[in-house]
Amino acid sequence: MRIKSYEDMNLQDLDVMKEIGNIGTAHAAGALSRMIQKDIRISIPCVNVQGYDEAVSHIGDIEELVGATLVKMEGDVEGLMLLLFKLDFANTVLNGLLGKEYNSFEEMGELEYSALLEVGNIIICSYINAFAQLTGMKIDLSVPGFTVNMLGGILTVPITELGNDKLMFFNADFVMDEQRLPDWLLMLPDIESLNHIMARLGVL
Amino acid sequence: MLGKELKVGIGDMKFAKGDTTVITYALGSCVGITFYDPVARMGALLHVLLPTRSNPADINVYKYADPGIQETIRKLTMSGMMKSRMIVKIAGGAKMFELSGKSDFGNIGQRNVDTVKRILAAQGLRISAEDTGGNFARTMVLDVATGTVVIRGAGRKEKIL
Repeated sequence: MRIKSYEDMNLQDLDVMKEIGNIGTAHAAGALSRMIQKDIRISIPCVNVQGYDEAVSHIGDIEELVGATLVKMEGDVEGLMLLLFKLDFANTVLNGLLGKEYNSFEEMGELEYSALLEVGNIIICSYINAFAQLTGMKIDLSVPGFTVNMLGGILTVPITELGNDKLMFFNADFVMDEQRLPDWLLMLPDIESLNHIMARLGVL
Repeated sequence: MLGKELKVGIGDMKFAKGDTTVITYALGSCVGITFYDPVARMGALLHVLLPTRSNPADINVYKYADPGIQETIRKLTMSGMMKSRMIVKIAGGAKMFELSGKSDFGNIGQRNVDTVKRILAAQGLRISAEDTGGNFARTMVLDVATGTVVIRGAGRKEKIL
């Protein structure tokens, strides 16, 4: 059956995505751990398919400032990858890299932003590498973009760019410095690519 | 704050009379359009995501500047607002991400603003104030009791339009 929306994925399809999330998150945590030289443990990631309003309230407050790294996928899979940094996650990462504490995004400058952009890019790349190995698909990634902005505004980007009504995201807890810090990674293939992925994984 | 607050989601429109504020949160590349009639003391806020409707089967007209604006004006004039008295203000249309080497990426905000302006002009409505473009999200609030429009930009001070 051809999938017309993220919502059309059945439990088995979602299990496949969850497995991809599992491997991707493990790779990403390994890369992050080497970068910031901290031990990281991860919980098993959940995969969620939600509409805009539901996704916003699941992740945080609509006007909350969050950092976000965005990468465009091209090749066998077309779409977007978006990694969100909530303040506590950003702070822990920056603390590992720069040795400083931050109480708000306003305290950060260009240096901090470019550090977060790179960390986001590395997490996304290790994720996509895991995904490409698992599926044998070839995916080219664009140069990353970064913003610190309202959560609600950031989450409209995939909706307007891809025309999807739903958002698919992975969420795992990264345990660093005795804190459980949720990580939010949105994987947003366009619908045609999602069908390619499912066909490749033998679900359909 | 006195009175009640009406929340406008994405691809949504609400209108109210009297002691009410109408609010839409975190406009990124989306555009918020307020319509206010000071005599009727009625106001509306429309939140559009995209310039034009490509799929005519999509029944949610408010997602699109065209035909969302026309439909909003039709509803408002039916409810007692007069087009000749409407004060129109717009906000949003930001470019949220810059991807180097992909200059066409993220231009949807600008296209939204251009389309909104074109449709309003075709309807004979003048824009009395705007806060558009840039690279930050905005929350837009219309106080229907006074017609005041307040913009809260991400990490910025409040601004009255």
